[in-house]
Amino acid sequence: MRAAPDPGRTAGSWPAGVARRIVLRLVVGVGVLWGAATLTFLAVYLIPGDTALLILGGPDARPTQEAIDRVRQDYLLDEPLAIQYLHYLGGLLQGDLGQSYRLRIPVAEAIGQQIGSTAQLAGAAALLALPLTFAVALTSAQRRPWIRSLVSGVEVVCAATPTFVIGFVLLMMFSFSLHWFPIGGNQGPASVVLPALTLALAVFGPLSQVLRNELDDVLEQAFVLTARARGMRNAQVRVRHALRHAVLPVLTMSGFLIAALLGGSVIVETLFSRQGVGSLALASVYEKDLPVIIGVVLLSAAVYVVVNLGVDLLYTLIDPRVVTA
Amino acid sequence: MSLPFHAHFTARPGTARRIAARGAGLTVVAGLLASCASPAGTQAVSADATPVDGGVLNVSISAEPGCLDGHGISATQQQFLGRLIYDNVVTLDDNGEMAPYLAESWDISEDGKTYTFHLKEGVTFSDGSPWNATVFQQNLEHMRDPATKSPLAAAYIAPYVDGTVIDDHTFEVHLEYAYTPFLYTLAQSWLGMTSGKAITESPGTLCQNPVGSGPYVLEEYQPGQSISYAKREGYGWAPEWLGETGEAHLDGVEVTVVAEPVIRHQSLVSGQYGLTENLAPQNAAAVQADPAFTYENLPRTGSPYVLGFNLNREPFSDPAVREAFAAAVDTEAVTESLGFGTYTPVDSYLSKESKYYDPSVEGIPHDPERAHQLLDDAGWDSRDAEGFRIKDGERLTVEVPTVEASAPSPLLVQLQGEVRQAGIELEIIQLPQAQLTELRYAGDYDALAGVWHTNTTDVLFIRYHSSEITGERIGQNSSYVNDPELDEILLRARGAADGPEAEEAYSQAQHRLTDLVPGLPLYENPSQFAYSNSVQAVATDTSHPVPVLTYAWLAQ
Repeated sequence: MRAAPDPGRTAGSWPAGVARRIVLRLVVGVGVLWGAATLTFLAVYLIPGDTALLILGGPDARPTQEAIDRVRQDYLLDEPLAIQYLHYLGGLLQGDLGQSYRLRIPVAEAIGQQIGSTAQLAGAAALLALPLTFAVALTSAQRRPWIRSLVSGVEVVCAATPTFVIGFVLLMMFSFSLHWFPIGGNQGPASVVLPALTLALAVFGPLSQVLRNELDDVLEQAFVLTARARGMRNAQVRVRHALRHAVLPVLTMSGFLIAALLGGSVIVETLFSRQGVGSLALASVYEKDLPVIIGVVLLSAAVYVVVNLGVDLLYTLIDPRVVTA
Repeated sequence: MSLPFHAHFTARPGTARRIAARGAGLTVVAGLLASCASPAGTQAVSADATPVDGGVLNVSISAEPGCLDGHGISATQQQFLGRLIYDNVVTLDDNGEMAPYLAESWDISEDGKTYTFHLKEGVTFSDGSPWNATVFQQNLEHMRDPATKSPLAAAYIAPYVDGTVIDDHTFEVHLEYAYTPFLYTLAQSWLGMTSGKAITESPGTLCQNPVGSGPYVLEEYQPGQSISYAKREGYGWAPEWLGETGEAHLDGVEVTVVAEPVIRHQSLVSGQYGLTENLAPQNAAAVQADPAFTYENLPRTGSPYVLGFNLNREPFSDPAVREAFAAAVDTEAVTESLGFGTYTPVDSYLSKESKYYDPSVEGIPHDPERAHQLLDDAGWDSRDAEGFRIKDGERLTVEVPTVEASAPSPLLVQLQGEVRQAGIELEIIQLPQAQLTELRYAGDYDALAGVWHTNTTDVLFIRYHSSEITGERIGQNSSYVNDPELDEILLRARGAADGPEAEEAYSQAQHRLTDLVPGLPLYENPSQFAYSNSVQAVATDTSHPVPVLTYAWLAQ
């Protein structure tokens, strides 16, 4: 969203409040990361079962005692919780996320291998979802009841249908039957279309609902009437005046958008046999691969913090009143 | 460690349930697609066609181990993956007989404790380093090194004491006691030979960057997703039973993890993948009916799928209850329904494919009347309000823990229904994997379902010898069978050289097990895979019945 120039200030010289806001946000962000690391650490620690046996045991294993002892020693599994936790935090402070139990490589490397694929998927999904949301909401707000009902129905279906089902239906139609797209994998741009569309539909529903409701309200405001009275065309009124007001709640929902994209990637990547952070997370949870699980949670939390910071700044661009408020 | 879907997948009943649940969905899909002919519809190529060089074979696989160093994992998928990049010291030929591979010959001392291997010359690993006696020794040491964290290989070579490098290509192994299974385990995919140079210089990277001497070389590995292999230039030491020598015909093999069974099936049919290493049973009929595909359903040797009883505690400490439980279950009906007709029911504790399987051994037939009689006689002769048998105020309950899943294991649900009619309550306890493993090692259950695949009949020792009861060390005798007579037979069997003496001992062991009833045998542990007819010369191994792609080729 490019905001119209504000007569009250010039570009490049934000009020001092903005800088303070950013610093405050960053401090809170670090706190969020620490909290996320701690909670995940405790949650995984509390899963019952001996981690060493999980790493080496199972129905198809026959580990020797020496191997089990070695695992306990290497991963500090015999140490008290506090020691394990402090050791982990110490590592984090030095930028060391630890070693994956399952893959036996550094966690940063394990996540690094997958992050590009997930970024591609989430980016493509956002590129599909946002224009779709704006187009649908802008054209359907304050229209005849049957159009609203129809659009609203589609939104509800998109929002309420589990991602797995949406993905499977798309697969059946476009891959199994029509053979337009590969059934899964990471080969070529065609392979990203269906997974991205699946994710996009899941986030489109709620976003479009919120934006349209806001537009409905805004379009009844007096200034809209004024704009129309000045002879502005309907499309102009919707895009230039109403949208700017209605988009704030949608921005607020960016956090939701990121969460939905990251969470959805777990399901979508598994369904479409794609590599990515989501399928890494799933495999790691199955195997109680603690370092990788915490790594993925930290990554998600970091993305969240950054996005929220960005949203905050955007607020001030779109609606200068936010800074002083 | 392996991903959720072991191809011992029967040991993860939760997953099996998921497959079954989707079976219904698949019928719908199949209906929708009825008009859609197979795009992969290649014509069958006659068996004597000349192999074509070139092309990359795309393979889908249900899961991958997360680590490709066979010594450090126990995952089922390694049976297939290991054959691509590793060679073994010995191999089992078409007839299941021990045959040369990286060792040209070997001598076994009279007492069975010393093995002298004469190694093939001129073999190199993909990093250029040579195969020789020192490297063989390094491999055995690497398997048992605690730093390798081996969940399987170390236990298989447990009797290995040390070795002597006699000369560059002669290696002498000293075992603690006579252990005939030694050679067999050396033929298994998990025990493939790794470059000695890599073991010395970069042991920490073997998981992600394994270096073998096999027909393919690892090119790129994306853990959890895909593994790319390229043909090994200059390869020329395949085992004789493959019927060819020289380099692979394919330029490479691209293995992709496709976790969902329905998707694996569909992407095979659509031609996206030429071969799937694991075809779910509910898709078998469709693929079998399609002339454009070859479907294989081969039993894995070793222990078939068995619901093992815990003989250490009530109620299965009573042989009558064990026999009654077995008589109460219609194994054939349960198996038929579980495997969509693709599972082979068994009544023995040893797979019919295993060496020394004794067909004269007969299991307990389905006989509900006998089950009632046995339980009445054992004192479980009154019933509570829900119709379950009681004795001294206690209900006849059998606790069976299993790994937790969205729906309970279909096998256990079926067994629950079967034994309900005999007045036995089967309680399904769903637990997270780690907790299940703990409970398993603590012996805190009445019965556990599982398989154990190995290419040696020594599986009976692993599963039923008293020294394999988990105590100070972890064992696989989860039935807590502690029978001096059986112990003596099994010890004799593993010490006997292959031949009549071993055959006799293993036959005795199978009969003795049938008397002891340590569990309820259910069905063979199947390896089910399928491939398009454009893929030619897919071999299978007698150690593991999985596709061997050494000389596979793609028809134009």
